[in-house]
Amino acid sequence: MTGRSRSVLIVGLGNADRADDGIGPLVAEKLRRLLPAGTALASPRTDPIALIAEWQGFDAAICIDAASLVSKPGRIHRFDLSMAELPSDRQPVSDHVLSFAATVRLARVLHQAPQRIIIYAVEGASFAAGAPMTPEVAVQAPLVAAQVAAEVETLRHFSFRHAAANSP
Amino acid sequence: MATNNGTTRTIRVDNLARVEGEGALDLHIDDGRVTAARLRIFEPPRLFEALLRGRGYMETPDIVARICGICPIAYQMSAVHAIENAFGVQVDGQLRALRRLIYCGEWIESHALHVVMLHAPDFLNYPDAVAMARDHGDKVRSGLALKKIGNELLRLLGGREVHPVNVRPGGFYRVPQRAELVPIAESLKSARDKAVELVRWVARFPFPDFESDYEFVALRHAEEYPFNEGRVVSSRGIDVDIADYEAEFEERHVAHSTALHSFLKRRGAYLCGPLARYALNFDQLPESVQGLAKEAGLGERCCNPFRSIIVRGIEIVYACEEALRIITAYEPPEYAWFPVATRAAVGFGCTEAPRGICWHRYSFDGDGTIRAARIVPPTAQNQLSIEADLVAVVTPLVNEPDDLIRARCEQTIRNYDPCISCATHFLKMTVHRQ
Repeated sequence: MTGRSRSVLIVGLGNADRADDGIGPLVAEKLRRLLPAGTALASPRTDPIALIAEWQGFDAAICIDAASLVSKPGRIHRFDLSMAELPSDRQPVSDHVLSFAATVRLARVLHQAPQRIIIYAVEGASFAAGAPMTPEVAVQAPLVAAQVAAEVETLRHFSFRHAAANSP
Repeated sequence: MATNNGTTRTIRVDNLARVEGEGALDLHIDDGRVTAARLRIFEPPRLFEALLRGRGYMETPDIVARICGICPIAYQMSAVHAIENAFGVQVDGQLRALRRLIYCGEWIESHALHVVMLHAPDFLNYPDAVAMARDHGDKVRSGLALKKIGNELLRLLGGREVHPVNVRPGGFYRVPQRAELVPIAESLKSARDKAVELVRWVARFPFPDFESDYEFVALRHAEEYPFNEGRVVSSRGIDVDIADYEAEFEERHVAHSTALHSFLKRRGAYLCGPLARYALNFDQLPESVQGLAKEAGLGERCCNPFRSIIVRGIEIVYACEEALRIITAYEPPEYAWFPVATRAAVGFGCTEAPRGICWHRYSFDGDGTIRAARIVPPTAQNQLSIEADLVAVVTPLVNEPDDLIRARCEQTIRNYDPCISCATHFLKMTVHRQ
């Protein structure tokens, strides 16, 4: 363990009313009971641009979001943005808000990004308004929550260089 | 994409970024002349007017808020005013002031996002706000800070930033205590200073030498710069009660768009939004804001749509000042809402969304069930003017490279900050050259 414990912000991204897009808010809700004291849990967000202000002052941020279907619903992806850029080949088209990847780039340009940003993304199959979450996606929420809680411990108490080397 | 097929040259932009919604633009250039510019809006129809039929009047503000994530207050306000108009309720005093305050929040967040993140990169030749931030980080930070304070007003008064849930016929479900507004007043003073600097920054941008003889249409109120109330007036003499809107304006289907197009029955295209509001209500701006407009090079009216970015900045400053004025004078009302008694009636509401007038008409049964609804969003009203501007802007550029034409067209469209989802009803562009 090295020095002070680092501040970590957890954000669930997505719209709880749009089927699998709600996985981020669902995981965030489950994390309420799992997170150690002092860990900040932000309100669920649908507009990534608001994250720039929320991130300010935190050493690390973990964001949980839905991902478009690539292989199978419920598959969990973890991206450590200190190790690699977020894939940018699937950007939203013509929207007022920035994409998540663009939001990270902008926050870094403005020196308002946490030193570590980690993304948990769960592949979804349905994003229809008012539709229920796909069972294969919903069943992953406790697992993602447990992984995030463990990651918070690592981020808070180990140097980032050490944490990166030991990340799952 | 650009193709050359004999005398026909085609340029296609598959998606226009930095607007809200999805659509396309077809430009037709025959023998070096721009013969048509058609905004093809292919976003699926959203059918809100049909969805509202059979629903209760109390559900209306929460349903219409879903029309737009950027300007939900405009839809909520036009709806509650129409409901109250139908049922003979007049909301006044501090509840009326709180409605102006929440509208201030929406103008601040919507205009700040558009001015800094969406439109400014066009003038400074950056592909997007992220690239612009490398050289103008302080301005991007200011824009984000302004958006945040606007969102805070929405959250405080509306319960949440997007699709607020605290607006109801007769007033609000809950009104804030004075102590809740005091901290936001301090943030608004800082926001006002940032907005003034933003106006000074955008006023120095290089603007195309272009003007159009628009018929401006906006609300006008005898005592205030318009948000919620006023008569529908135009720069060519229209001055009608909002209930008589349909006597002067009509909507038509056009083949290339899922959005209806609005027309002046007697004269065709017109323009609503910041340029129109400013031209028709300049005298209602505080002297401090008028002075800033003059410092920024604006007269009492502005017919260069590219300079609308300055007018939006002016309106941010105004909204900050108005919000501060309202908060300073605020005393929590005894009741959060006025009682509303239903009756069979027709009601009209028209308020100033950030992009222009948003007009609603509802017919109610005696128990308050909606029999019919009609909603005219601002972007649908501006489509004819957007297309006319595109023809005029591209005409002197027909021999220029496709990339230059494309960039200027995108910038021209962004002059209107179009909200395609609202109009449902943005942007692939095809240039046909013959």
